[in-house]
Amino acid sequence: MKISHLFGYAFLLFFSSANAISQEQGHLNVTTLVQMEEVSVGDDGERQTRLVPADAVVPGDVVIYTTTVENVSDEGADNVVVTNPVPEHLSYIADSAFAPGMVIEFSVDGGVSYAPAEDLTVEEDGVTRAATSDDFTHIRFVLQGELAAGAQGITRFRARLH
Amino acid sequence: MGFSSKSRKAPISLSCECEAVHSLPVITVTKQPEIRRYYGNSKVFPGHCQSLPDWGSSTRANARRDNTLDRIRQIAKRKNRLTEISRLFAVVFLVSLTTPAFSAGTPVGTVIDNMAQVNFEVAGTPISQNSNVSSITVQERIDVVVVLQSAQVQVAANDTDRALLFTVTNTGNGSETFLLSINSVIGGDSFDPVPSTTPIYFDTDASGDFNVGDVAYVPGSNDPVLVADASVDVLILNDIPGTVANSEIGRSELTADSLTGTGAPGDVFLTLGDGGTDAVLGTTGGTGTDTGEYIVGDVQLNILKSVSVLDQFGGTEPIPGATMTYTVTVEVTNTGTATNSVFNDPIPADTTYLPGSIILNAAALTDVIDADAGELDTSGAPTVVVRLGDLTQVLGIQTVVFQVTID
Repeated sequence: MKISHLFGYAFLLFFSSANAISQEQGHLNVTTLVQMEEVSVGDDGERQTRLVPADAVVPGDVVIYTTTVENVSDEGADNVVVTNPVPEHLSYIADSAFAPGMVIEFSVDGGVSYAPAEDLTVEEDGVTRAATSDDFTHIRFVLQGELAAGAQGITRFRARLH
Repeated sequence: MGFSSKSRKAPISLSCECEAVHSLPVITVTKQPEIRRYYGNSKVFPGHCQSLPDWGSSTRANARRDNTLDRIRQIAKRKNRLTEISRLFAVVFLVSLTTPAFSAGTPVGTVIDNMAQVNFEVAGTPISQNSNVSSITVQERIDVVVVLQSAQVQVAANDTDRALLFTVTNTGNGSETFLLSINSVIGGDSFDPVPSTTPIYFDTDASGDFNVGDVAYVPGSNDPVLVADASVDVLILNDIPGTVANSEIGRSELTADSLTGTGAPGDVFLTLGDGGTDAVLGTTGGTGTDTGEYIVGDVQLNILKSVSVLDQFGGTEPIPGATMTYTVTVEVTNTGTATNSVFNDPIPADTTYLPGSIILNAAALTDVIDADAGELDTSGAPTVVVRLGDLTQVLGIQTVVFQVTID
């Protein structure tokens, strides 16, 4: 790893919030951030939305998980797959997953298998039914193409706290 | 046996049940939730003789009904109360209430960690890497719901300590202390009940009514502390003014306020939640209110039932084949009027109605539905039905007789 890269990331660490301290293990920097949406009315009377740290989270609130993958090496990374669990006590909010350039699939069996949302089924009381967003346990994002040196990809999804 | 008065809506009827055939029948009366032991001088209980409020016609009543139904759906684990309320609602609206599913939410203080994993390849070498762990700690949400449990309470002028029953439920996710208060000056009713000297009690004996043994609420001393999802039964007591008239309605409400704070949904009380978390007001704003009703009805009834047995051998043994003769007297004992009174009495199990045996005040009635005052109603379980009209004290004792044979 080049010294200049280390210096750059030390700088980045200094300004990151505690939740976003990255773990640098070589080629990629992977950071996860959890935030809430804050809606305020600006001086012009228009509603403004911004992301703030998820501090006072109570049942019913929506949180936003953002994972950033940055290629800090000088080699491209292939077949990049990001897996985001949906933690216990949270339900994935349908259609909220966002990841430019990535194919998004979901799991209802704890991350063993993945499929497009509309193809998933669950068995309940002996009856098979279509899975809903409440059933999703994991989200998998598959980057199409290479993550070039110096490039960055992000995944984001929303979940509601029970 | 049942006695009821017709209102504009369906009548509410009491039912008497006779016990085993092979012993002398005993009069038992099914107590309706709104009948009070106040009417102590009658052997059984009076019916409802005032018209029910027309809940279907006023917008305010509809809004209140919808609000009440929403709140009821929020309360779990109260099947008995729900059954009572659903009976009342079934009479007026024919609405069926399913048992609501409600959860206070993830407990305050729960820590939720999350970490992403990335798998990738560099020059053909597979690599797996985890992100940092992001963490959130669930703070406390404050919510409370108050739900009326009493049906409309029938009262008389100058009554004292008439109770309305409510349930106060902590619908937040942490433990909260609640301040209770009563207000009987409410618009839209015909009179203001007067809160009793000690106006709020806990229904300590879970009787649904105000009894010795219920503990008085003393603000600041025994404010109820409820954990998430817990509830407490509360009675509010009012006196009825002397100047009320028949069928007038008076309203009184119970309010529960979270001690941590009330206000707008989303208001935050830093560090005041359980375990030093922040407390955030939920959609209820930390306060709940519901309103109960008293209706002035002044009729008192005395209803007596007796039975005699005559067997086919000339004796009085209650054996198969014997004839039982039921005699029921209905009498208004004060100056009130029981409007549109209807007597009904199901034929007891293991007996068969003796055709042609219904007699009202010494005049025989036919068994079929026709112009006379009574019949044997066979649309459901066989029931003797006699319409007694508008009863007053002046009309004297009404006597209904009918006979059955023991199977």
